[in-house]
Amino acid sequence: MLKKFEYKVPGGKLLRAKLETTEGRISFIQFTGDFFMDPETDLEELEARLRETPAEPDSMGSVVMGFFSEKRTVIAGACATDFVYVINQALKA
Amino acid sequence: MPQDFRFIDLKVNDAYTNMAVDEAITKARGEGRTPDTLRLYMWRPSAVTLGYFQSVEDEVNIEALERFGFNLNRRISGGGAVLNSEKGEITYSVILREDDPRVSTDPVESYHLLCQGIIEALALLGVKADFKPINDIVVAGKKISGNAQIRRYGAVLHHGTLLVDFDAREMFGVLKISKEKLSDKMIQQAEDRVTTIRRLLGRQVGFLEVRAALEEGYRKALDANLIRGMLTPYEEELVKQFRTRYESRDWIYRR
Repeated sequence: MLKKFEYKVPGGKLLRAKLETTEGRISFIQFTGDFFMDPETDLEELEARLRETPAEPDSMGSVVMGFFSEKRTVIAGACATDFVYVINQALKA
Repeated sequence: MPQDFRFIDLKVNDAYTNMAVDEAITKARGEGRTPDTLRLYMWRPSAVTLGYFQSVEDEVNIEALERFGFNLNRRISGGGAVLNSEKGEITYSVILREDDPRVSTDPVESYHLLCQGIIEALALLGVKADFKPINDIVVAGKKISGNAQIRRYGAVLHHGTLLVDFDAREMFGVLKISKEKLSDKMIQQAEDRVTTIRRLLGRQVGFLEVRAALEEGYRKALDANLIRGMLTPYEEELVKQFRTRYESRDWIYRR
């Protein structure tokens, strides 16, 4: 079942997470919204890295924070912790 | 001392060509095969362009889009969905090399700089506008221009739209701004958040007048010596290549 959470970052942009889990792991995840990211290909890479991750907040959070710090992605209108937040909320949805 | 800038004057194209031209100039500029460029353009038919990270199903009412006969496209830049109306707006792009000393690595500073031409253009028309971070230009708190930037191929593409007129039924018919059913009350609320040149000046300001203000506004803001020009044969070739991608379903529906 597709779980979805939508969040308007205060003073920033809209960020959505859509995800599906299979046997406790992420089988599908996609972020959408009107934020900016440079390079934009980092989003697809992050989604790929999150697939097969255990669908629980600590694992997902450390993948996201590790990814953005390693890649030094420039995000405008949202930040790494907003991505963690929408994932956690979508997991609870 | 003013720096030379190629100026590609107002032209009307469909959405696929318009986005392909912006990307072609960006690639050619990054490769050092074309000069810094200011381009003005309009759309026919009207089109919704999505930001790179947006999904069609979240943002667009396809049934209304088809009823109006509008195109749908996806930009390479992020940001929000825009109705590029053939009746109500002028679009512009500014393309510089990424290592240009005038361009900051900080996104908000970079938007501020490249939005300045629009603020100058509006001042010339008698409208006092302000930059509103991250990427908007507002008049008395109401949005009149939205902008998006991308760094690719070693260049920065800054493109945006300036509202000359506004048809709330069209805009909020095709853009999903809420899950609630479109109602007159909602149109009123949304309409209160945007404004247009014609509304502010209370007259039928023509596109050519706005075009002239944009040319002069960017000349001042960028301290540019604008030299009228056209696409190079290399850029024309890139436009053909990129256009195929822009009109493909895979590209438009990638999210």
